[in-house]
Amino acid sequence: MGMTVLSVAALIMSLFVLDQVALAGVALSMLIVAAALLGGIAVVTRDGNRQSGVTEQSTDLVSQSIWPLVTSIGVVFLALGLVISSVVFFGGIVILLAALAEWMVQSWSERASKDANYNASVRKRLLNPIEFPVLAALGLGIVIFSFSRIMLTVDKSVGTALFIVAGALVLIAGTLFAIRPNMRRSLGVAICVLGALGIIAGGVVSAVSGEREDLELAAAEGHFTHKECGPEESEYFDKLKEETLSLRSSVSATIIYQDGELIANLQGLDKPQKSITVSRSSATNIIFRNATEGEFRLVVDLGKPKTENADSDHDVDCTQLVETGGEQSLTLNIAKSSSAENHYKLFIAGAEDKQIEVVVP
Amino acid sequence: MVGKKSRTLFGVSLLSFIAASCATNAPQDTWQPKGPNAKIIDDLQQPVFAVAGVIGLIVAAAVIYSVFKFKDRGQPIPEQTHGKPALEITLTIIPALILAVVAVFTFGAIFKLAKTDDTEMIINVTGQQWWWEYDYPVQNEFGITQPIISSGQLVMPVGTKVLLRETSRDVIHSYWIPALNGKRDAVPGRIQTLRLEADKPGIFAGQCTEFCGLSHANMRMEAVALSKADFAKWVANQQAAYVAPEKDSLAQQGEAVFLNQCVRCHQVNGLMRADGTPAIAAPDENVWAGAAPNLTHLMSRNTFAGASFDLLSKQCRDEVWNASSDTIGAKYLAGVSQDCLNQKDLRSWLRNAPEMKPMYANPTQLEATGGKYRGMPYLALSEDDISKLVAYLLTLK
Repeated sequence: MGMTVLSVAALIMSLFVLDQVALAGVALSMLIVAAALLGGIAVVTRDGNRQSGVTEQSTDLVSQSIWPLVTSIGVVFLALGLVISSVVFFGGIVILLAALAEWMVQSWSERASKDANYNASVRKRLLNPIEFPVLAALGLGIVIFSFSRIMLTVDKSVGTALFIVAGALVLIAGTLFAIRPNMRRSLGVAICVLGALGIIAGGVVSAVSGEREDLELAAAEGHFTHKECGPEESEYFDKLKEETLSLRSSVSATIIYQDGELIANLQGLDKPQKSITVSRSSATNIIFRNATEGEFRLVVDLGKPKTENADSDHDVDCTQLVETGGEQSLTLNIAKSSSAENHYKLFIAGAEDKQIEVVVP
Repeated sequence: MVGKKSRTLFGVSLLSFIAASCATNAPQDTWQPKGPNAKIIDDLQQPVFAVAGVIGLIVAAAVIYSVFKFKDRGQPIPEQTHGKPALEITLTIIPALILAVVAVFTFGAIFKLAKTDDTEMIINVTGQQWWWEYDYPVQNEFGITQPIISSGQLVMPVGTKVLLRETSRDVIHSYWIPALNGKRDAVPGRIQTLRLEADKPGIFAGQCTEFCGLSHANMRMEAVALSKADFAKWVANQQAAYVAPEKDSLAQQGEAVFLNQCVRCHQVNGLMRADGTPAIAAPDENVWAGAAPNLTHLMSRNTFAGASFDLLSKQCRDEVWNASSDTIGAKYLAGVSQDCLNQKDLRSWLRNAPEMKPMYANPTQLEATGGKYRGMPYLALSEDDISKLVAYLLTLK
């Protein structure tokens, strides 16, 4: 019942503190309903009444429990999250739900018999199949995330060496466990824990010191977002992997550079086209296929950017250099209709006369 | 014991059900195919319905018989037996065989409906909350020498294999003209194809069939099939240059109101600003989907606001809808005249659109969409401005 009252208080607080209460309101309302339901059941069944609930089988004293403390932490996160951020709020909900579940099962198991060991085994039997995979996933996630921080901080060559060393250590540890099956369990646990702690510590240090210089520079200069659309090979963009495999399943047109001519094939039309129609404000995927000897890239001229400076360069987007026989996708998303003053076109970098008109009705 | 009241209720319900099944004005009836694609579906669903109906009746009769025959009258419980392999195998094999036969014909129909290599015309269809946009890419064989853009009503030539290339700008919608084919989802970032073909000239109603938000029920569409000659006339009209309203007319004042208010979202091709620059709409800055209906030839259509409302008065609309296949083309191509205009709905729409059709258009509740509307907002137009706008819109044929 206390939880119900607390949830109502949190809901009222959220109504005053937050402008956008929809999500928090729904979450807290559900919590109120759930807590009220459980509380109601407890009251009706007199489950919380120790006088009537005591049976011959139950133990006299409950064992120590960490869950009231964890529940309190969850409530604090919940309240803070309402003010600070939704991530903290949802973290609070997760902690609260986990703690309540653990607490309830522990309370229930302690009433199973007079034997505390048996009661503990009942609790384990019910919760360990859930606890172990969750904790393992959480632990592995932290270790992997920490390792990724380390790899982003150390120099590329050091990273390679580090990866080899880490792999070798895992191999050695695995071999050790395999050839010494009777090795003390605590030693195995110690090796694993020490290894994990080392990686986590390294990850924390790396996160504090930041990413290596070339990555910071690349982020600052936009190496990963800026496309160099000239005919020559670009320093960064052309070296990135194309990550658009899924787009190929839904293309609006295939643009082919063949025998020195640029043509468009549209699904449903037999003849090659010299123009394609692109719906405005809609992501439209096209495929560029290079059937001419040499490496070429397809560029889309998106007109002049919306700026006061009438002399500013046109916005462009492009594929990477595509080798003979290769193809690559390009997504167009054009907001403004084309007009006499507002032309869009596709062309081959370095051969600007090879064009396909892009019409945005 | 079933009471008299319950029997009466059951009887009324049954009569209502039978009466509803006999509706004469059912423009979205799936049992009346008007084209070869819908016919493929109909040829499949008729026998399947018959077989399923017979099986359903047999099962229902068996259940009813068992309920009444063996109901508890205090008789001793019959001997309980377990396992009748022969019967169980028979009752498994028979439905499996029926389903296998249905599957063979179903797959055949699916493959026929998925064909695209015999396409004669393509039309791009884009869904957004809560209207459909149609654009016709250049197709010289149909006289389309520059792209045509329209909304609400899909116009197509009869006897032509049309391939719709569907996508969406916001959420998933689904395009369905029951008389011409089945449903096809319009999914953002994807292009899905749907074949349409009409046997005869006519207007065929449809409805978005994927829940897409507040006004999903108001996201309608109509396919208008015209004879090839009439379609050519329609194409020529859609490609005609913009004609500015007469000088010093009410419509010219309406053009100024349009430039001041409506062109923020709605494009009218050829419309120029006072400084001589073309008026380019910027729906991407105001509407979440990034588009609003192009109104260049608004009065050549019969509907507006996602085909939710008629531009034609009821009498004029009935004349078009009830016209024979020989005369419907001429009646449709006549467009909306002053006399036939549904002034009431159009004025109401301009006065307060969100009141006519539920939309996310409250300016104080647009945080989730970065201040952009979903639908048309309330523009606080004066009655005078509305009159001017109506006069101007009437010129957009």
